[in-house]
Amino acid sequence: MSHETEKDARAKPTNPRKGRYVKHLIYAGGATLILAATGALLYESGLIPGLERPDQTVASGYFQAPGNDQIPDSPFGESVRRGQAIFMNTATNASDHVGNGLSCANCHLGEGRQPYSAPMWAAWGRYPQYRAKNDQINTMEDRVMGCFTFSMNAQHSVSGEPPPHGDDIYRDLQSYFYWLASGAPNNTEMEGGGFGNVPKTELGYSPERGQEVFAANCAVCHAGDGQGQQDLNGRYVFPPLWGPNSYNWGAGMARINTAAAFIQNNMPLSQPGTLTDQEAWDVAAYINSFERPKDARQGDMTIEETRQLFHDGDDIYYGQEVNGVLLGVGTPDPERPVGAPE
Amino acid sequence: MTADRRPQRDPRHPDEHFEPYELDASIPWPLLGIAVALGVWGAATLFDTRRHEERAQVERIEDTRLATGQAVEPGHALFEASCATCHQSNGLGIRRAVPPLAGSPFVQHGPELVANIMLRGIDGPIRVNDALYDGHMPSFASVFTDVEVAELASYVAARWGENDRVLEAAEAAELRGRVSDLGSFRGGAGVAEDTGLALGDQPPFASGTLQPVAPEISALIFEGRGGQWSCASCHGDLGQGRENTPRLAGLPADYIRKQLHDFAAGRRLNESMAVVVAELTDEEKQALGAYYSGLRVPSNARPDLGGDLERGEQLAREGDWSLTVPSCFSCHGPSGFGVAPEFPPLAAQHAAYTASQLAAWAGGQRTNSSLDLMEHISSALSAADRRSVADYLASLPPVPAGTGDTLAAQGEDR
Repeated sequence: MSHETEKDARAKPTNPRKGRYVKHLIYAGGATLILAATGALLYESGLIPGLERPDQTVASGYFQAPGNDQIPDSPFGESVRRGQAIFMNTATNASDHVGNGLSCANCHLGEGRQPYSAPMWAAWGRYPQYRAKNDQINTMEDRVMGCFTFSMNAQHSVSGEPPPHGDDIYRDLQSYFYWLASGAPNNTEMEGGGFGNVPKTELGYSPERGQEVFAANCAVCHAGDGQGQQDLNGRYVFPPLWGPNSYNWGAGMARINTAAAFIQNNMPLSQPGTLTDQEAWDVAAYINSFERPKDARQGDMTIEETRQLFHDGDDIYYGQEVNGVLLGVGTPDPERPVGAPE
Repeated sequence: MTADRRPQRDPRHPDEHFEPYELDASIPWPLLGIAVALGVWGAATLFDTRRHEERAQVERIEDTRLATGQAVEPGHALFEASCATCHQSNGLGIRRAVPPLAGSPFVQHGPELVANIMLRGIDGPIRVNDALYDGHMPSFASVFTDVEVAELASYVAARWGENDRVLEAAEAAELRGRVSDLGSFRGGAGVAEDTGLALGDQPPFASGTLQPVAPEISALIFEGRGGQWSCASCHGDLGQGRENTPRLAGLPADYIRKQLHDFAAGRRLNESMAVVVAELTDEEKQALGAYYSGLRVPSNARPDLGGDLERGEQLAREGDWSLTVPSCFSCHGPSGFGVAPEFPPLAAQHAAYTASQLAAWAGGQRTNSSLDLMEHISSALSAADRRSVADYLASLPPVPAGTGDTLAAQGEDR
């Protein structure tokens, strides 16, 4: 319809052309509807060849790591599978080097795929990297060695230390990470990498407030005493958050800002993003205000020396008194290494 | 549609006697066309849905066939689907929780012992490769056919026990008949005793003290009170349930007590249960929970909703992160054995019941989940997903009902 006719139609409501205009409009609309319905029907029934149902996993805006069904049947694929087994079930498949009840997958959710859960596809292309933590260039192997030292508390394991450099554990884990990062950019900070950040709040953080947040949101899974829960065979279903079976004082998660970011972006499981900034800070402070295994780097140093050397300026209770108790002393060493045969 | 067909008059003096009238106007054919097309579309969609269900059933049968025989390596697919959640794909188990198969003397004895353990399950402490385990393995008798038992046992014995004897389906059938009434092995010591095989130093089995059921509780369960239904009249004599009536056998006592409270408080809506619980005291709720938690009954649940078992398995074991749905097992425990008292066992629950509860959460008729966890998760799942996951969970072996303190009872440190 031309512009002029439209104007005519408006000027003279009795113009018979208007009726035709509306009629055409209805016909056009109807035809569109029929086309849409037929199209939808064909699409639904799969009669259109090559048109697959949309893959729901591609819905998010983050990098999509490959699924387990894409692990190749090859020697490399075998290594990927071994790496994934170590990642998911670290205490069994790297048994000699795990001195607590945790697995890599406890903090790296979705088998290391979940955005803002320090996904491995984002980490892979970020190494080698200089880290102030140990003032040196870190390869991925160095980085994972740090995880064993601190997050897996290797000091209380059977071997008493992380896997030595060059161990197959690193080889297989790196195969797994490399495969997860298939098609990811190299040496680029990726959206969804790391744990994210929670902006500082005016109130600061407080374990007292955090205790209430914990009771309301976390205790149902991690138990009121934060020691996690096991199934009837004694297998951890929910990981311990503090105490002898959790990460030690040198782990990144012992820092309140890191824990707050992980918590806000991932917890409670299936309801990420429901805690406010304030709640995330407070509950992270609460979780990290309890004693845990000592910092693996302490050696013969005092707690204060260790604090100055490794924790100065960090959001961490290490070396501070909370409720009249000095934190950082560490939980008692186990009678025999964790996982050792009796 | 109105119009004036009479000659035009001076518009300044309209006809005072004019009455509006309607011309004959048939419904335009395109509109009819649209209506017919929409009707056809609706009918076709109905038909299409039914065809999907049929196709899902066919796929399931094919899956089973694939898993039971035509796989590259007989037993491998079945192992991955049914055994690897606990014993792991590499057969190394879980430190301090699930015994390894690799290097295990139990496996080295060959497929017959493996099949025997699969059919009976284990309930009691067991020592494997110098490590002590609590030993709660379900009986797979209600899950696997004789062919499946034979192939799995042969596969496990060959791969991790270096024992090449192949168990035949007929032997598995004969074994099944022989052990069907024996119940679970009483720990590693029980296996050694019953089979006469050398299995090294096994921890002694401390038999749990079975609490006798009080007569008034027994009456509630089997006869009902004051003209009310008895528990058994719907949930079965052994708490096995059927269709939309849940299996109660092996559910944690505290979980059952909480549900009875929630029925009374209206957080769960069910007319029959609302009537029944109104009369129960707190002590009776506790006692009923204790009774059902100790029952060990084979599963009579079957995947019968026509769900996509593969999708169900994916939801149960991996979840669907694109829907912010974590795996069922990440809270309800590996293999769906539950984590008392908040997360009940899901394994061997009736598919119709599981699916209807998921629907009730999504629809707001059930509101008793901590943090609204299940309300959120159920709402994120499509009806097809709910059927799929319910079907998968129904295909699992039932949780081994146990006291869980068999090790503590003998004062041994794991």
